[in-house]
Amino acid sequence: MSDLPPIPWESPINKSRSLKMKRAGMVIDLRRCIGCHACSVACKTENEVPLGHFRNRVRYLEQPDVETLSFLPLLCMHCQDAPCLKACPTQAPTRLSDGRVVINQDKCCGMKACISACPYGAIYIDDTSGRADKCDLCTHRTSLDLKPACVASCPTQTLRYGDLGDPEDPVAKYAKEHNAKPFKEDADTHPSILYIQQEKWMEKAAATGVQLSSEDNEIIYEQNGRSS
Amino acid sequence: MKQSNDNKQNESKLSRRDFLKLGGALTIGVASVGLAAPLFRPLSGEQTQQDLNKFISTRKKDFVDYTRARAIPTICFGCTNHCGVIGWVQDGKVRRIEGNPLDPNSLGNTCSKTHGMISYTYYPERLLYPIKRVGKRGEGKWRRISWQEAIQEVGDRLKTCRESGHPERFIFHYGRDKTKGFTKRFTNAFGTPNRLNRRAICSSNRRVPLMSYYGRDFEWETQDMENTKYILNFGSNPMEAYQGGLYMMHRIQKARVDNGAKMVSFEVRPTATVNCSEEYFKVMPGSDGAIGFAMANVIIDEGLVDKAFWERWANISLAEIKEHIKDWTPEHAEKLSGVPAKDIRRIAIEFAKAAPHCTTMTARGSAKHYNGTQGDRGLRMLDVLVGNVGRKGGLCLTSGRMWGGGKYGQDGLPSVSQPKPKPPKPKAFTPGTAAYEDLPDDIKAKVARLDPQWQKKYQGELATPAEYPLSWHWYGMKVGQLVQPYIREGRAKVDVYMSYTYGAAYGYPEAKVCREVLLDEKLVPFHVAIDIDYSEHAALADMILPEATSLERWDPHSTNCYGLVPYTGIRQPLVKPLGEAREIQVIFRDLARHIGGGMEQYFDYENVEDFYKEWYKNVSAKIPGGWEEFKRRGIWQDPDRAKDYELYERPVPEKELLGSTVDPETGVISNTIKGKKRTVGIMMPNPETGEMEAVRGFPTPSRKIQVYDPVFPLAAKSAGLPEGDPNGNALPTLFTIPGFDELKEDDMILTTFKWNVHTQGRSSQWEFHAEIVHTNQLFINTRTAQKMGLKTGDEVEVTVQRPRGLTYRGGINEVVGVVRNRVHLLDGVHERVVCFAHAGGHWEHGAVARAENRESLPIKEPDSGLKKDFSNEIWWSKERGGTGNGAPMNDVLPINPSPLVGGQNWFDNICQIRKIS
Repeated sequence: MSDLPPIPWESPINKSRSLKMKRAGMVIDLRRCIGCHACSVACKTENEVPLGHFRNRVRYLEQPDVETLSFLPLLCMHCQDAPCLKACPTQAPTRLSDGRVVINQDKCCGMKACISACPYGAIYIDDTSGRADKCDLCTHRTSLDLKPACVASCPTQTLRYGDLGDPEDPVAKYAKEHNAKPFKEDADTHPSILYIQQEKWMEKAAATGVQLSSEDNEIIYEQNGRSS
Repeated sequence: MKQSNDNKQNESKLSRRDFLKLGGALTIGVASVGLAAPLFRPLSGEQTQQDLNKFISTRKKDFVDYTRARAIPTICFGCTNHCGVIGWVQDGKVRRIEGNPLDPNSLGNTCSKTHGMISYTYYPERLLYPIKRVGKRGEGKWRRISWQEAIQEVGDRLKTCRESGHPERFIFHYGRDKTKGFTKRFTNAFGTPNRLNRRAICSSNRRVPLMSYYGRDFEWETQDMENTKYILNFGSNPMEAYQGGLYMMHRIQKARVDNGAKMVSFEVRPTATVNCSEEYFKVMPGSDGAIGFAMANVIIDEGLVDKAFWERWANISLAEIKEHIKDWTPEHAEKLSGVPAKDIRRIAIEFAKAAPHCTTMTARGSAKHYNGTQGDRGLRMLDVLVGNVGRKGGLCLTSGRMWGGGKYGQDGLPSVSQPKPKPPKPKAFTPGTAAYEDLPDDIKAKVARLDPQWQKKYQGELATPAEYPLSWHWYGMKVGQLVQPYIREGRAKVDVYMSYTYGAAYGYPEAKVCREVLLDEKLVPFHVAIDIDYSEHAALADMILPEATSLERWDPHSTNCYGLVPYTGIRQPLVKPLGEAREIQVIFRDLARHIGGGMEQYFDYENVEDFYKEWYKNVSAKIPGGWEEFKRRGIWQDPDRAKDYELYERPVPEKELLGSTVDPETGVISNTIKGKKRTVGIMMPNPETGEMEAVRGFPTPSRKIQVYDPVFPLAAKSAGLPEGDPNGNALPTLFTIPGFDELKEDDMILTTFKWNVHTQGRSSQWEFHAEIVHTNQLFINTRTAQKMGLKTGDEVEVTVQRPRGLTYRGGINEVVGVVRNRVHLLDGVHERVVCFAHAGGHWEHGAVARAENRESLPIKEPDSGLKKDFSNEIWWSKERGGTGNGAPMNDVLPINPSPLVGGQNWFDNICQIRKIS
């Protein structure tokens, strides 16, 4: 009888929180995405995100020249040059040591300057608190060396969390090997979320970003500006 | 019905693939913008920790605190896959579900639906107390009762039924039962064969070809996806909704992205699987089989048949098959399907050349048609022709059911068997028995027409409908959509009807028939529902018993493993049932004790865990640490067992050869095992030495692959189909769906599908899933819609015609029903198809499912365990300017079981669309 494999979830969880990475980030390999929404629902369950808002949402995009669709998971890009940081007069958005951008609820007075500044629609106002909130790369998990909820839930390894500031990090290597690039590179905010095989037309098709726009009702396919 | 498959799509795909090939090279020397040195200035250590602590302290106080939450493995119940998962429990509440990395099927992956378990366990309108109706049935007026009162009343009624000598008048009708035989223990102990299911709604038509070919359905065929190079997908959607989908999706994506495998999909709409395919062809519904026969012709003509495999294992010669299918050419298939003959030819050749690292994948898209069983038999032939069966990267068969009893492919596995004593199976309805004498005369005549082997097994029209012998020939798949119509017709009598997590009153074809019967107190004198929430079906009960959810109860688990090594798992309670909800094992134990008369001996346990500990004793014995260690892991797989490749070439074990006999003509080896004569293998020449050896073969009567199967003509004769009807052909046969050959210009085909965030019409109350998909608009091809002057959002009226064909017809009206809904235009939908998702239009299941800001649960008492009310957050409700939850479409789909098999022909609905101005 061979030994049974070790039990991964019982490996001791770090009791003291710390952020060890140089530049926390993610690579999203669109070749693998199947549009299952596991990331987005895991995020909402984990973070108890209220109905009507998303920290992470999968967009369904009709491709411009073929009859099939593309899937595009969008979330806060944790920009290295983050417009929300500059826009907020009360310094509620803060950068933590590994580069992630978080919103300190204590400092937020709900004036929405960050929301207007964000090119990715990543920020929403929590209706109960009246304060801004968004993806913080599951700091309560990642500071214990657990993966963010969305990454832990992705069934096809589309989302990969790692240290983009460490050339030896497997995710950084993967990003380099596959020429991962920011979404909406022209916004010039230097995101720490990078995409493999994103295409230019997606920027227009998913222009409203993470949050629901007034026309969005559900995941119905977005038609890339077609007349239908 | 000519259609164009745009060339541009193939060109574009090619360029994308080329890009991928070049991807690595292109990055060399290109400075990657995204990976440049950090632009922000790292802070000092002390400041870092302060910032982190401060942020964590300002996060909501109740976030999941993984430094103190407890992780417990269990089995997911979000869909039919049942993946191993880990639940994180904090302060007595399940807060988070993740995959169990020890699960060899999921490899620790989950989809969105696993989080539905948290939604339904803590749903504010969950049923927590037994309730009894006080108004008329269906009126929605209830009072809370005690469990004692509930057991007393249900138990008394069951006892009276059982003691009347007609135990078959107790009907147990379930939607999702993953107790692996526990509920059958109850119905067997009671003595009723009427433990009725929904297999015909789901998969009968694609299981019959599998069982006919290979002898068993093995849960499913198990494609060796991680090693395959070529996947031919006929209407299967593992990326979204398929049984086994989760197990396949990560393997398919690895095969495609990392190993360059190619997937070609034949579908009617751009499913998630289509969107992950290298090529997509829109097919006319019901024509997948035509493509299969055409490809078979190409493979034979091009000399690409694996002759050694075919001659060794197929039960008919290649020459005979060639002659039989010769007219069903690619050109013929193009006419029926719209897929260009040149593409059919090219793909058949590509597929065959990839053998054995290639596989077909069929499912509802190909099979849920009037001609779907025979069509799938044609598609199954492709794997046999190229010899990928059981081989690395091919279509494998692996044993998934509960182990034990000498089942095929389970040699060496510990027996996993229900604790003794086990109740006997209910007796057949043979002349002289009270149950037989109770049958109407016209039914007796139908029974008399059955082949003797089926007369001996007959157990009434609900469990073994005489006109659908193939629904119960291999095992009791039954014909669930005929239960209520047959009760209405008086083919079966009912004393007690017990529904168990069932949604037929909402989700079945012509669901209104089901509702009418359930509302008729003469036909159904007593209906008790066991459920976790207030469904449309439960709303028509006289009493509802609240069940524990999957996070609160035990179940055994076992299914086919796409890693090709069998495994087993255990669902265990992570938390105590909320309110007064009870596990089914407790409800049935207490009912059995109340009924008495010997039933109680089969439920002789106080603690449910003890029952499962006994059930798993042989597995526990294999694990150092035993039962406790099994629970700690949630999954067990023999680490030393080889993969299930080529099971058919494995030798018959010595002990089964002792005292066996060999049929001199066929070489089939038989033996008497546990008092029953069974075939155990076949004599075959060793491929190298030519010496005869006893090998397992396949668990079919011939121990070969039954491309030719005499059971079909036998069934056709027994069911009274006219001589020569193609449904009864012993060889796989191509024919068109009645009515499809005379479609008018504006006739469309109405088909259904399932979204990736929903499961069988029982998930619309999961708030985070309903938020993503809450309606069921009609998807229609853009060009077709524009010709009709339609744009996205327009309302249309859909008129559905009653199908023709030699099967049950729920009336003489040519129109089944008319329904209104909105359209959504999409290029990828087939030009003649309109499709809608099976998730919209609920009128029960509470506020979230109904998309109305009011609650519907009749009895609700404050319970701290439930989530807060959502009724002010449903932004998609019509009151808040949203679209609401869509239209209840299932009422207009006809009850349409396929001949002999009974599988619902979901996709044969001829309809007309009219714009409402």
